[in-house]
Amino acid sequence: MKFKILREDLLVPLQQVIGAVEKRQTLPALSNVLIKGEAQGLSLTATDLEIELVSTVQLMLDEPGEITLPAKKLLDICKSLPNEAEISIDVDVDRAIIKSGRSRFTLTTLPASDFPALDEISSVYEFNISQNVLKDLIDKTSFAMAQQDVRYYLNGLMMEVSSSTIRTVATDGHRLAFCEKEMDGDLADSKQVIIPRKGISELQRLLADSDETIKVILGNNHIQCQLPNQRFTSKLIDGRFPDYKRVMPAAEGNTLIVDRESLKQALVRASILSNEKYRGIRFILSENLLKLQAQNPDQEEADVELEINYSGDALEVGFNVTYMLDVLNTSSREIVQGIIKDANSSLLLSFPDESQARYVIMPMRL
Amino acid sequence: MSRKIIHIDMDAFFAAVEQRDNPALKGRPVIVGGQPNSRGVVATCSYEARKFGIHSAMPAARAWQLCPQGIFVKPRIAAYREVSQQIHQVFQQYTDLIEPLSLDEAYLDVSAVDRCSGSASLMAKEIRQQIFDVTQLTASAGISYNKFLAKIASDINKPNGQFLIKPEDGEAFVQQLPIGKFFGIGKVTEAKMHALGIQTGADLKQWPKEKLSQYFGKSGVYYYSIVRGIDERPVTSHRMRKSLGAETTFQTDIHDVEIMQQHLFQLAEQVVSGLQKKQLAGHTLTIKVKYADFQQITRSITVDELLYDVKKIICLIPLLLNKTEVDRRPVRLLGVTVSSLSRDIETGHDVQPGLFDQI
Repeated sequence: MKFKILREDLLVPLQQVIGAVEKRQTLPALSNVLIKGEAQGLSLTATDLEIELVSTVQLMLDEPGEITLPAKKLLDICKSLPNEAEISIDVDVDRAIIKSGRSRFTLTTLPASDFPALDEISSVYEFNISQNVLKDLIDKTSFAMAQQDVRYYLNGLMMEVSSSTIRTVATDGHRLAFCEKEMDGDLADSKQVIIPRKGISELQRLLADSDETIKVILGNNHIQCQLPNQRFTSKLIDGRFPDYKRVMPAAEGNTLIVDRESLKQALVRASILSNEKYRGIRFILSENLLKLQAQNPDQEEADVELEINYSGDALEVGFNVTYMLDVLNTSSREIVQGIIKDANSSLLLSFPDESQARYVIMPMRL
Repeated sequence: MSRKIIHIDMDAFFAAVEQRDNPALKGRPVIVGGQPNSRGVVATCSYEARKFGIHSAMPAARAWQLCPQGIFVKPRIAAYREVSQQIHQVFQQYTDLIEPLSLDEAYLDVSAVDRCSGSASLMAKEIRQQIFDVTQLTASAGISYNKFLAKIASDINKPNGQFLIKPEDGEAFVQQLPIGKFFGIGKVTEAKMHALGIQTGADLKQWPKEKLSQYFGKSGVYYYSIVRGIDERPVTSHRMRKSLGAETTFQTDIHDVEIMQQHLFQLAEQVVSGLQKKQLAGHTLTIKVKYADFQQITRSITVDELLYDVKKIICLIPLLLNKTEVDRRPVRLLGVTVSSLSRDIETGHDVQPGLFDQI
């Protein structure tokens, strides 16, 4: 294989796929990027066996072929070259010569046949969705995914498509994030998939703030998103996501309306003296007043008062301040609304101008 | 200044203890370990048995084929442990820097010891004599300036001998060494090295660090150092337990995934009760599967929570089993290990109730 390419034309697709390259690889080929040169151009593929990223670029090759090259080194070489530099790559039997200007690099290669291919995807359902809609669905919910939970099905984002809606739900077992958008679909039953954490963070990186539509293919074991010049594939988590509807409280009860920014600042202030491990803050609700109290193991205390709109029961309830802040940071709306039945019930948070997203937080025992 | 490390290794330890305690076994091929009609393996065998080609880790049934007149003895761990303590007491007369590798092997760092005018060779000789006086058992010793070379040296004049590799000879010594003799290079790595054209230390030395780490990962970096006679690992006397595991080899291969799960659950219970006794819990669960064709794999998962409850482990086992080929390949051995250990067994669960607790 032999071709010449502009630095930027190689750098961009490399940066797009590099996220899938395993740092602690189990197969030597996994630290490499697969480069295929065909008549239509160049395609770059990286995988960690769980996700696969493919990026394509149009190019006339001097000589077609396929090979794998060390991904990180190739990226570092491209980055280090000056803007607009022309790079020539010439693949010999087991070496690749990379030249640009007066620099020359020899990289080791592994044959393309060593590169693992993901299983063929059997499409069960396909739909089209705007990039920004999908991005918003993920951005609004993915923060609530569990990290490394024993309940492995929580270490991912649940996506549910039905005839008229698409929903994303994430939970770590203590709090839950839910987002719903309308969608034109033709699905008789709803279909649920769980996309693993790493897949979600790569997908988030890939999606642009554009209303261009992309194609999403759901298979039995995979999800694939086809973007212009890019393709994302991830294995799915095989498990049953908990019944989120059962833990979403009814939207009725004691209702508080608060300025989002003021609440955020008050929480940050009080949290300085909260227990570093549990991050608990006591919320004391009374007529139009919210008192936040924090106490750490050294018996240091913080009291912060905030005027709110509230006419419900007098309540005292504890919450993890990190969970609260995570929710407040998902939106730039002015007002946040909270609904809570009593001190032992979970809190339902939403932004009135933005009804598509809802958040549930379980109280703490303080 | 270079260090002085002695590696002491008892000769055919389990078998030697058996021969000592039962004079009828003296001069005869003694095989300690599993019974020939079982799927157990040879733990140790006497030098008489080694002449038949028997070695440790060989299936007992195979040993019996090679040497039907062999005397197969079940291990008496308590007896070996007693001897182990005796030899440890001998070591302690010389240094506190003792790193036991097993019941019958240990590294001693004698760099700062004045006895025998500071001669590690003379100390090794004395230690071996004392071990013999106390236990009537022979030991071999290797003396060098690091652990890797000391360990190799103890094998050279075995049994009942010792060998010194001087600092100036270390690098040259490694050059002529067949690659399979390197400590830490087992059969699989040896075959892989042979495939790459590496037969001896000298061949290995030709390889740049990057290539070795590409082919062998972290171990590759270690190989790069040791082939230059460099091994900076200290002799550490207090090793913190890093993992706790249990495994079992089956009488006959298992095909049924359900039954495998049952075995894994039992092993998990054993591991958990072991952890509880030591007041430990871990974040990482690993299962080990050896297929009927002896290929062995491990699959592991790390979680935030501490795994101290067998229920939690049990719900992870099917997940790990799914990442294996047990549905297609029969299995002869299963194992469960918990690692990333911690003593900090405390949960925030009382403080932060869960959303799905009632479900």
